[in-house]
Amino acid sequence: MSYEIPHRWIVTFRYPLEPLPPPKELRGRPIIDPNLCIGCGACVRACPPNAITEEIDISKGIKVVKIFYGRCIFCGRCWEVCPEGAIRLSNEFELATPNKDDLIQYVVLPLHKCVNCGKPTEFTERQVVRVLTMIQELPIERREELRSKILLCRECKASFLSKPMELRGSEVYEKVKA
Amino acid sequence: MRRLRPKLRSVWVFHVDAGACNGCDIEVLDVLTPFYDVERFGIKLVPTPRQADALLVTGSVNRQAVIGLKRVYEAMPPKPRIVVAIGSCAIAGGIFYDSLSVYGGVDKVLPVHLYIPGCPPRPEAILFGLGQLLGIVNKKVRAEEYIVKEPIKDRGYRGLFTERIYKDVRYFLTKYVGYYDRDEILENVCEVLRESRSIEEVEHRLIAKASSVRDPRLREVYLVLSGFVVEQLRGRSRT
Repeated sequence: MSYEIPHRWIVTFRYPLEPLPPPKELRGRPIIDPNLCIGCGACVRACPPNAITEEIDISKGIKVVKIFYGRCIFCGRCWEVCPEGAIRLSNEFELATPNKDDLIQYVVLPLHKCVNCGKPTEFTERQVVRVLTMIQELPIERREELRSKILLCRECKASFLSKPMELRGSEVYEKVKA
Repeated sequence: MRRLRPKLRSVWVFHVDAGACNGCDIEVLDVLTPFYDVERFGIKLVPTPRQADALLVTGSVNRQAVIGLKRVYEAMPPKPRIVVAIGSCAIAGGIFYDSLSVYGGVDKVLPVHLYIPGCPPRPEAILFGLGQLLGIVNKKVRAEEYIVKEPIKDRGYRGLFTERIYKDVRYFLTKYVGYYDRDEILENVCEVLRESRSIEEVEHRLIAKASSVRDPRLREVYLVLSGFVVEQLRGRSRT
């Protein structure tokens, strides 16, 4: 059955009894691909009705990205801003449900642990991997400086970088380099 | 033809607009047109809540509308008093969820039996929901939880293809062609960057790609993109 007007007397689609394929461009349910999501939170900032939210649990060392389809307006801004192509709008529109809890998708991502003290930081492991691949092209001094900032937690970074160069502990440098 | 054995028959519905933008209301009307014809399942739109079995509520429930909504609910016969929330606004407030004059969801005021998300929901989505109410279709969504364990996959950095040039081309394409057509073009450009050895080869291959596609809009995109990529790669090798 198609959307062209049929040349027959009965024009009614037999829809709930027979499937009616939606058009290809339909903006349906946004789906986060957990294999690609790095938990950067770009979609959280972009979402106009805040249907996508993120929570950081430092004690458990996880970051939860939660999307609630009940509030989603299917605008596609999350798809536009996602730097990894992890979230995209699918063709699914059959979302009706008697239970509101069915309309939630969670993605739980592990947080990066500081190489010096071992405590979880505010960003995820996958974000660190991405940034480390991005700084590969920089000159070596700049790259090493950035590495020491990226891999440490906030307290370690403050205590490490506030010291003058010769008083910085060499063991921290070795941990960062490893 | 499958014989229908619905749980409910002849559900008469009353439509309440509790502060909607009229998008959902128009889709509710679409369901009554001959193309979607909800009356074949015995669902009929009635002009008074005293005859209604179900309420179709659209719109973010604002403070003025809630008075009328409660009166309508009390005017319904005591059984079965079904409430259907249609649209993002009726489910959780939608885009107005933190506005001060809005309750944000029908379920803050009345017990809701069925939620139909969408902004606005398609007529098919409303039909699917009402079919669920009658018991002729089953729900398809459920809560999903993914716990990520494995690290991120490599994008296959090889040759001139690096993370920086990937990001630059991605942002450029988002501005130039929009998100819908971006992913396919991006994948082709990444393949070209991986396979070619010099900047001249990248330029040559992208221009060859442009002349091979038939769509004039895509050809334009590949030509502009070849200039952009070469400029980025040259600027990077100079520093």
